[in-house]
Amino acid sequence: MSRQWLQIALGILTAIGGFVDVGAVTTAGEAGAQFGLGLIWAMVLGTLAIMLLVEMSGRFAAISKKTYAGAIRERFGFKFYLLPLSAALAANSMLLAAEMGGVSIAVSLFTGGPWRRYYPLVALLVWLMIWRGPFKLIENAPSLMGLVTFSFWVAIFLLGVPSPELVSTMWRPRVEPGQMAGYLYIAAAMLGAVISPYLVVFYSSGAREERWTRRSLVVNRASAVVGMGFGSLIGIALIILSALVLGPQGVGANTLAEVGLSMARAMGPLGSLLFATALFTTCLGAALEIVLAMSYNISQGFGWEWGEEKLPAEAPRFNLVLTLFLLLAFGIGWLNIDPIQLTLYASTFTALVLPVALFPFLVIMNDRRYLGQLTNRPWMNVALVGILLMAFVVAVVSIPLMVLSGG
Amino acid sequence: MSESEMLSMRDLMDNQLETADGRMIGRVADVEAEWRDGGELVLANLVTGPQALAGRVAHWLEVVMRFVFRGRFERTIPTSEIEGIGPTIKLRGRAEEYLVGQSDRWIARHILRYIPWSGYW
Repeated sequence: MSRQWLQIALGILTAIGGFVDVGAVTTAGEAGAQFGLGLIWAMVLGTLAIMLLVEMSGRFAAISKKTYAGAIRERFGFKFYLLPLSAALAANSMLLAAEMGGVSIAVSLFTGGPWRRYYPLVALLVWLMIWRGPFKLIENAPSLMGLVTFSFWVAIFLLGVPSPELVSTMWRPRVEPGQMAGYLYIAAAMLGAVISPYLVVFYSSGAREERWTRRSLVVNRASAVVGMGFGSLIGIALIILSALVLGPQGVGANTLAEVGLSMARAMGPLGSLLFATALFTTCLGAALEIVLAMSYNISQGFGWEWGEEKLPAEAPRFNLVLTLFLLLAFGIGWLNIDPIQLTLYASTFTALVLPVALFPFLVIMNDRRYLGQLTNRPWMNVALVGILLMAFVVAVVSIPLMVLSGG
Repeated sequence: MSESEMLSMRDLMDNQLETADGRMIGRVADVEAEWRDGGELVLANLVTGPQALAGRVAHWLEVVMRFVFRGRFERTIPTSEIEGIGPTIKLRGRAEEYLVGQSDRWIARHILRYIPWSGYW
């Protein structure tokens, strides 16, 4: 019994670590600085969607004993499988570049040097950890360290109670004329950042790596709901922090260092240190998960030997793919695109392709041949389809507006 | 497998090929059937390879792949090798007994051995 509790606790911690990443930090920082608490709804909606998705992907792996990508190819055929695969490849390569940028910026916050100097070293670190690191280390080490993100809430309490005026922006967002495009753009990016398809692939593959069975469903539900819930609280804390500190000073959260200013204001040098540590661990954790998720996706879809627990020579194509994918993302990050911009592009693009990326999985979750009696309940389908379509529509509307208004 | 068990296309197409030693060697890209004397249509082979896969996407892509690879990577596995069909297609032999099962070893020997800490021996 105590072992199961340990598993549940670990599952929750991992989920928190998986939730917060460069996308969550960037969009939460931008949202708070520009629109007060007016985008907390997007964080909450996104959380609901990712809770549902993570629960589904764990249940799918435990019951069907199939792999995520394998099932999509089997159910819809090879030609169709290429569609979600290419959407994932485009979104994930941008996002991985941004996550590695986030780690590099965290290092530069410690040392003071330009972040690009550390970028190659960060890519090398990511590769080394994946090349030989055991799955447990990759899953647990960054998420345990990611607990420093709880200091965001401490900072809020140190800064004092938000004014009633600020609190009211939660349900009556202050969007000035001409800011509507920006508001929708950040909303789309936040939804795309929180509802990460890579997390779904990673989580379900992790469940297969750990040989989940029907008995794992309790752990699964707990880590999905509690873990993602706590992760969301951290995202909300960042929105509040930015709204409290950056908003009134007219600082726009244009760099990750500016997002960190709110922690420095609340806790002094310790705050900066905590922010840099949080940024480092959460982005590193997410980078590892994205590389693995992409390689899981391709290897499972093509039916190759896969698994992080195996030596590279035991799963050669899996390890070759992750190395090549890391190189591709490294190249994108090296193009000198600002990491915040890259994060916003990647997250909005993710929001745009959410239906393509996740609807096939939803169909499988309703197929008794895979899940027997444990298919989705109708309310899960309705809630998820609703949120995904909303994210898609917000992205479709905001992207042309942003282009027209000149970014 | 019991003789009366009926299979449909979706039990075979795109399903995972797993060898007797538990290795994942690929997915079914296509199948080959043949007319036997007496008018019986029998499923003869499972097919894997880039050409077969490309044919599933578009005809012109298959033509391109055929021009590039000239069938070098196309592999067939006789259906008599199938031991059972469940979440995966279980094969009777070990990975090294099938040409398609040797690809991983080839990549390990020719590429991964030059990358440090690959565990190649």
